[in-house]
Amino acid sequence: MTDNSDNFATLMKQALAGDQRAYSELLQDTSRLLRPFLAKRLSFTSEVDDLLQEILISIHKARHTYDGKRPYKPWVYAIARFRLQDHLRAHYADHLHHADDLSEIEETLQQDVTESAISYESISGEVEKLPEKQATILRLMHQEGYTAREVAEKIGMNESAVKVAAHRAYKILRQKLEK
Amino acid sequence: MANIDELINKLARDGTVIKPAHHPVLLSLEWIAAAVFYLAVALMISGLRTDLMVKLHEPWFVVEIATLVGIIAATSLSAALLSFPDLHQMRRVALAPAIAFALFALVMLFAWRADNPPSQPPIHSVECTLSITMLAILPAVWIFFVMRKFASTHHYWSGGIAMLAAFSVGALWLRLYEQTDSIMHVIEWHYLPMILIGLLGMWLGKVLLKW
Repeated sequence: MTDNSDNFATLMKQALAGDQRAYSELLQDTSRLLRPFLAKRLSFTSEVDDLLQEILISIHKARHTYDGKRPYKPWVYAIARFRLQDHLRAHYADHLHHADDLSEIEETLQQDVTESAISYESISGEVEKLPEKQATILRLMHQEGYTAREVAEKIGMNESAVKVAAHRAYKILRQKLEK
Repeated sequence: MANIDELINKLARDGTVIKPAHHPVLLSLEWIAAAVFYLAVALMISGLRTDLMVKLHEPWFVVEIATLVGIIAATSLSAALLSFPDLHQMRRVALAPAIAFALFALVMLFAWRADNPPSQPPIHSVECTLSITMLAILPAVWIFFVMRKFASTHHYWSGGIAMLAAFSVGALWLRLYEQTDSIMHVIEWHYLPMILIGLLGMWLGKVLLKW
């Protein structure tokens, strides 16, 4: 354990002195060290990979704050935990955001049911009339409870594209409900 | 996995010689030295309170000034530690401002009890808070500027403590410049606004210390 820690510290010292091979080795070892830590806390392998990349970039940016005179692991775990918290915060914010979107749709839906007699069935019908991709996204997100990120993985799009498509779909649905 | 290997290769290629950051103790000493210089210049411009020599014979005034200096030292050290992702593995030392502020509150309590009968408060009020804030702007900008070069993983605390360090410099300046004996005035308009300043600092930390 101590030998391993000493090895990290030595590699970092060499890296700070400009040794690119040592730096590459250090980043490889760090990535091996952090992968199980992240895998334990995140559900998807792709999430682990994304976050690991972010952490490696953060280590690169913050490497001047490590002098090689104190243990390496607490330093690297502090960065990893910080980025993990950021990631989880964004993830939950995303969940809340979509929950808001859904409740907005539901509110509109209820108003319209009383005012213009549009039923849940007709809403489902309207969803089916949307372009195929938008309809699939709404079904996955609101009937099956997937997050935007999970939908993105499932249908092979990127997360922002899924969000954009979902927003467009909400807009179309709102317009149709208002008529 | 392939992406990670690719990224590591790219980062390793960027791995040039890097000078490690100063030790946080040294960093805080630099900030304290800058604060002393700034305070000296401010006092040279504004002048010292005319009754300073008399006040220096009053134990509670001396203890108040000494504790305020302690707050500047503790907040500077804590802000320097908070600039490092792992607090330079001196987590307990980073809590030093809590002790300094607790001590300061105690000193103010005793000073308030000793101010009997209470001294007449000055006519002005919020002007003191504004003067302290104005004087604290430059140290605050300086500390945030330096902290941004580091990698804080505690944005809120870093920002709050940095602002308190800067505001304490302003508070010390006003205590050595303004001729007032009213402890109530000093507590109300010099020191209590520190709470708001700390909160403002937390927000600034969140905005300015991202990396």
